[in-house]
Amino acid sequence: MRALIVDDSRAMRRIVGRILVDAGYEVLEAGDGQEAIDVLEAQAELPALACVDWNMPVMDGLTFITEVRKRPEWRSITLMMVTTESEQDRIVRALAAGAHEYLIKPFTGEALMEKLDLLGLLPVPAGDPS
Amino acid sequence: MTTGTAPDPALVNAAFEQVWGSMLFTAFEPWPADTVANLGSGVQAQIELRGDWNGRIVLTCDSEVATQIAGAMLGAPAEEVLPDDDVHDAVGEVLNVVGGSVKGALGGVMSLGLPGVSETTNPPSAEDCLIISWHGAPVFVEVVPDAA
Amino acid sequence: MSISTTAFNFVREVVRAESAIVLEPGKEYLVESRLLPLARQANHPDVDAYVAELSTRRNPAALKQVVEALTTNETSWFRDSDPFTALRQSIFPTLAKTRSNREIRVWAAACSSGQEPYSILMTAQDTPELAGWKIDMLATDLSQEMLDKAKAGEYSQLEVNRGLPATTMVRHFERSGLHWRINPALAAQVQFRQLNLVRPFPPMGKFDIVFLRNVLIYFDLATKRDILRRVRQVMAPDGHLFLGAAEMTMGVDDAWERVPAGRSSVYKVREEQPTCAR
Repeated sequence: MRALIVDDSRAMRRIVGRILVDAGYEVLEAGDGQEAIDVLEAQAELPALACVDWNMPVMDGLTFITEVRKRPEWRSITLMMVTTESEQDRIVRALAAGAHEYLIKPFTGEALMEKLDLLGLLPVPAGDPS
Repeated sequence: MTTGTAPDPALVNAAFEQVWGSMLFTAFEPWPADTVANLGSGVQAQIELRGDWNGRIVLTCDSEVATQIAGAMLGAPAEEVLPDDDVHDAVGEVLNVVGGSVKGALGGVMSLGLPGVSETTNPPSAEDCLIISWHGAPVFVEVVPDAA
Repeated sequence: MSISTTAFNFVREVVRAESAIVLEPGKEYLVESRLLPLARQANHPDVDAYVAELSTRRNPAALKQVVEALTTNETSWFRDSDPFTALRQSIFPTLAKTRSNREIRVWAAACSSGQEPYSILMTAQDTPELAGWKIDMLATDLSQEMLDKAKAGEYSQLEVNRGLPATTMVRHFERSGLHWRINPALAAQVQFRQLNLVRPFPPMGKFDIVFLRNVLIYFDLATKRDILRRVRQVMAPDGHLFLGAAEMTMGVDDAWERVPAGRSSVYKVREEQPTCAR
């Protein structure tokens, strides 16, 4: 299975990426929402999961999620916000825009794994060739 | 115009403590009061808060300390040499997460800017700072309201 | 040889971040002794080498093993998820058909900082068959400190990230500074009381559901057997006992039988008691 990490921080992409790779994912990366849309449009096989930061240059995460939810062909992607935005109304807004889960930074690796479990995205089937 | 109150030092400290433990795997320790904190050539990161309160949180530390913080955050092997870009990016993300936590705790209508990181341009004055100890080296944190 | 300061500090921060438990200096021996089996299992000569690799790789499954080796406490919401699915899908709906007083009695017997009893209550609220029902929830723990924390219902950012679905979080929690506070109405539904499982239980009536997860593993066989025997005496005849995923009653107290409920370890008292059980 594949996962797309959308975050303007390379450090955060590396941290999230390592956890997902350990969980059996193949990881794609993008530095903002627009780049993430370009990445998705270039894929023959869509990622099962996208971990999306909120505050990013060019296109923020909320806009990206709204854009993804407008495209029926991308409906299979599970969207999880991974952001330091942590007010209750922000979480509600992201869920209303179509995010399936919400993980607040700072988080621990185990917390990310438990969110994937909630989303039914763990464990990645053994020997999955994708 | 700023209508809200500035984040108090205890809150900023607590936000750093949370990040130190969960992202850097390092015990948070305040700088000992009876020790002089010196700064060499440094890295400066800042993040803006806009809304009920307007201002920024600024972090300043030695380049070597910044490199160690980035290494701890990334779990980089000791032999990996991190380029300046990656160090700046990691320190910026530390401050981004602190800024988000502080903003969330303040409540009200606020937004968070994107972190900016550069060589130190405005050395902090120790009296106005929270100082955190990074394995015996000082990390300076200032809460700077916009000029009235 | 003893564990290095660097290794100890790393482990301490991992445990603190994952469980809010602080390993004070002086607990080096504890860390060393609990982690040595894990180090050996991972083919490392000693704990330092094992921790050095952990700090570079940060594999969440390995970090989880470390935290579990060093803590005895529940730290996540809806832990293992399966038991709560079983409650919502089968056990609560079945009880809803058989309890004419519209009340269900639940005992969380090692409630730690409260995530488990609160998760059970939130699950009951999500069960349509229980709309308008009363859940009489007793939550006990050995540690008064944990009970105080559970009762306060205030959790750090790191704690609310752990296994709590975002929709549930915004529904049942309010932000309070850097912390999140559980809805006081939910907290008020739980009666918290200190209780040592090793001692005779105080009078507490019969329970429809008992959660006793990941606690028997800390006792020897004779104590496990004694606890399970006394738990039987506070179970309603059709009550359900939940043990941890890796725990079982078989060979400890055979008066229990396993109930099929997903991957969960759920047990009922056998209807025909073996003669040796009395």
